[in-house]
Amino acid sequence: MHLFQIKLYRILSIACLAGYIWLYFNLSNFYSKSTSQIGVCLFKRVTSIPCPACGITRSILSILQGNLLQAFYWNPFGYLLLVILFITPIWLVIDAINKKDSLLTFYVAVEKKLQQKLVAIPAIALVLINWFWNIHKDL
Amino acid sequence: MEANKVDMFIMSNAKFFESHQLHIIRDRLVTIDDSKWVMVSTAQFKDPSTSLIISIIGGHFGVDRFVIGDTGLGIAKLLTCGGLGIWTVIDWFMIQGATREKNMQMLQQFLY
Repeated sequence: MHLFQIKLYRILSIACLAGYIWLYFNLSNFYSKSTSQIGVCLFKRVTSIPCPACGITRSILSILQGNLLQAFYWNPFGYLLLVILFITPIWLVIDAINKKDSLLTFYVAVEKKLQQKLVAIPAIALVLINWFWNIHKDL
Repeated sequence: MEANKVDMFIMSNAKFFESHQLHIIRDRLVTIDDSKWVMVSTAQFKDPSTSLIISIIGGHFGVDRFVIGDTGLGIAKLLTCGGLGIWTVIDWFMIQGATREKNMQMLQQFLY
């Protein structure tokens, strides 16, 4: 279990770091010339159909500017991802200082919960609905 | 457990595990009780080749991670456009090893 903890914490810190670099990059780009968008979404590049996660960057940028309704329009998952992005580094540091595994315990518990049919099916439905909305909005 | 049963298990399930784990599994299986044979022999392991195919097709949405049981990482992949497309490509090469690791974790529940 200890090995898994190291692996998970490493992945989480790399992901958070990448997320913040990506946000910083977009934020500076956002203020200099607001129309330009760097499209990295592989799926959108190949098929020209937006994927379920397209628009999350724009959503988070809108939240950071206090434009909550606009953020919901771009992609409702932006709120979720911003919360995760905000909490995870703090939790990682707290765990590292206390030498505990509270984040790992929480992660495993959430994973168990999400694998139950009663939670999984609505979650999948929500993602699919959001995806169709994304396609409809043509992000 | 009897050695021929163990060898049969190893032969039919070798592709589900890392090759360096096989002799550990064999040593362990020989020592455990016969009553666990039913559980061990009927366990459903995930096929690494299947997860590679899933990764190539649906890796962008984290489907590969969901299939092998890494729900948390699957969501992370789904919500970040497959880790901005980078993680998707990395996982094409990592997913087979990850699947074998998951299989080993599952077998360990029976072994210890």
